[in-house]
Amino acid sequence: MTKENNFPDVVFIGQPNCGKSTLFNVIAGLKAQTSNFPGTTVKHSHSKVNVEGKVLNIIDLPGTYSLNPSDPAEKVAFTHLFLEKPDLIINVVDASILGRSLELTLELIELEYPVVVALNMVDLAEKKGMEIDPKKLEMLLGVPVIFTIASHGRGVKELLDVVLHSLEKGLSVSHIKWSRDVEERIEEMENQLPEDFPVVANKRFTAICMIEANRLLFDKMLKDINPPLKISLDRVRHDLETMHNAPAYEVIAAERHHLALKIFEECTIVKRGKRTSWQERIDDVIMHPFLGYIILLAVFFGFFFIIFKIASPLEEFLLEPLNNLRLFLSQKLGTGVFFYLADGLLQGIGGGIAIVLPYFIPLIFLMSFLEDIGYLARAGFLMDTFMHKIGLHGKSVSPLILGFGCNVPAIVSTRILESRRDRIITSLLIPFIPCAARTTIILALVAFYLGPLWAMGFYMFNVLLVAVLGRVITFFFKTQSPGLILEIPSLKIPSLKNMMRKTYFQLRSFLKFAWPILVAGSIVLGLFQYLNLDQFINLILSPLVEKSLGLPRELGVTLVFGFLRKELSLIMMLQALGVSYQDLMTVISKEQLIVFTVFISFFVPCLSTVAILWKEIGKRIAFLSMVLNTGVAILFSLLARLIFRG
Amino acid sequence: MINLVKAPQNTPLRIVNILGGHGVRRRLFALGFYKDDIIELDSRSILRGPVLVRNLTSDTSVALGRGIAQKIMVEIIDERK
Repeated sequence: MTKENNFPDVVFIGQPNCGKSTLFNVIAGLKAQTSNFPGTTVKHSHSKVNVEGKVLNIIDLPGTYSLNPSDPAEKVAFTHLFLEKPDLIINVVDASILGRSLELTLELIELEYPVVVALNMVDLAEKKGMEIDPKKLEMLLGVPVIFTIASHGRGVKELLDVVLHSLEKGLSVSHIKWSRDVEERIEEMENQLPEDFPVVANKRFTAICMIEANRLLFDKMLKDINPPLKISLDRVRHDLETMHNAPAYEVIAAERHHLALKIFEECTIVKRGKRTSWQERIDDVIMHPFLGYIILLAVFFGFFFIIFKIASPLEEFLLEPLNNLRLFLSQKLGTGVFFYLADGLLQGIGGGIAIVLPYFIPLIFLMSFLEDIGYLARAGFLMDTFMHKIGLHGKSVSPLILGFGCNVPAIVSTRILESRRDRIITSLLIPFIPCAARTTIILALVAFYLGPLWAMGFYMFNVLLVAVLGRVITFFFKTQSPGLILEIPSLKIPSLKNMMRKTYFQLRSFLKFAWPILVAGSIVLGLFQYLNLDQFINLILSPLVEKSLGLPRELGVTLVFGFLRKELSLIMMLQALGVSYQDLMTVISKEQLIVFTVFISFFVPCLSTVAILWKEIGKRIAFLSMVLNTGVAILFSLLARLIFRG
Repeated sequence: MINLVKAPQNTPLRIVNILGGHGVRRRLFALGFYKDDIIELDSRSILRGPVLVRNLTSDTSVALGRGIAQKIMVEIIDERK
């Protein structure tokens, strides 16, 4: 990737859950010049911001525990740091777990790029009884340290001031010395590096990386390219191993660990408060081996119940003026081409506002609530047992739950899984999770016409189906899953501002990308109807739609368009059948409604999901996913027809 | 010396050794789990599920699958010492 301009690159890097993205969004949201796309098409968020007349390129990288990447998300951070040498690194640190977080800080300082530490969530640290001395920390690390509380926007101005100042003045950073014997071995390795050796960051860091690397590939390559260097490397590793009685990579990691703890102890006074804080008491309940599962179920159903209770009255309220307008149009425009076009336009715009948004907004908002409070990781812990039964483990739970919002970022988030096997299986299952679009359809059709209990039943069935499919898919993967290692972040009171901001970003991307598709799709259908082209498509699909599934033939065309965007099927359904939302049940039966919903829910989610699967996992898996979804959709809608025919 | 799965709950434990392959050990190091760290078993889930471990040295909580927890060897810290 080439740099598009000469503005300085400022990279945000930190361990997962340190509030890095919140800080990034505060800064990008305040003064954003271009948009940042919520993790759908790009690997990291980019934004240009104007700080006191100076333009900065700010880049948010995925959270990483160390510079020794072990999952694909961490690899993104790693690659970015070395391929596009940043002008400055903002290392976001969770102050409440300072000791552990400093290990990454120490690694970043070893790069000797300019680093500014944003000591985030200091309020949380204070509540835990930690008193951190910023001046002392600054002195020990040799880089500027700024206190921030990203969720309240505190410390952001000071941080940006220091960043600007450091960029102007140039900030020299030098690594911190380790124990003498280890330093001596590193120096020995450093001196052995030939002049033309491909150095990463600096010679010392490169030497450390070589000692730490214990990958067969690297060792073999070095042996082929530079045999004497390989011999020196082996000797250095051997020396470290005999002195410390542990593998070389562990010696290096332990050096950082102990140094980090030492710095932490020197700059922090910990006044141990009461042993059990409110977080721990809540955790005892929500992660309880029995109560935890009851709460999990309650959260799951409460989630959809709240959405439905908010959305359905709102929907009815918004639909009324829309129907009046439609009636008025048909009286004015007759049945000419203008009516079809205007009707399509109205259905697209109105359907987006009245049918989709009432469900979409509460769903995204509640989802960001669950995410921010830290419940997803806890659900992962609780579900691990069951995930093992289907051949995965608890870490896959969080991508699967994110799938209820939108399948696209959910598939991107499978990068947190270390093994490719788990990534493939999880990515094949995600398209079966009803996303916001399909939830809208389920709630707007099943819950609205048949009652909320039917919708709940549908979800139960859906979750069960995902479990069974998981079991079937893992049957074909012989390799074992590596097992669960998942950090459980402390519970946090979510900030309303942050949740609103997340909802706003999602809403904006819906309005920008999905809504135009809804409007355009509806207009095209209007045109098709005028030209009688829709009948042609319906005729081709009639063996499936009419003969097999027993649906009105007119719905064939809506299934085709649903591939662009799932809500389109719902909006077009009304348009194709030529009825208003309230009158739908006059033209189709209960059985047909269920068959239609089953088919729509399990059929290939949408174009963007297939595209992201293709990009993230590969062409073959994307095809496999499409075949699997189509097969399951046909099978279960046929079954639904048989069962509900009564 | 016992493995973590067999250790008693809510009792300070010292990590004596971390067994297992390169990948697993590195991952545990990155999350702040080292030899000599003091940890506590917070809870256990049903049906041979994962365990929840609190690292008192670095003050973090981690859920570990049973297979991985079995690779962490600990000893009970004698508080009288």
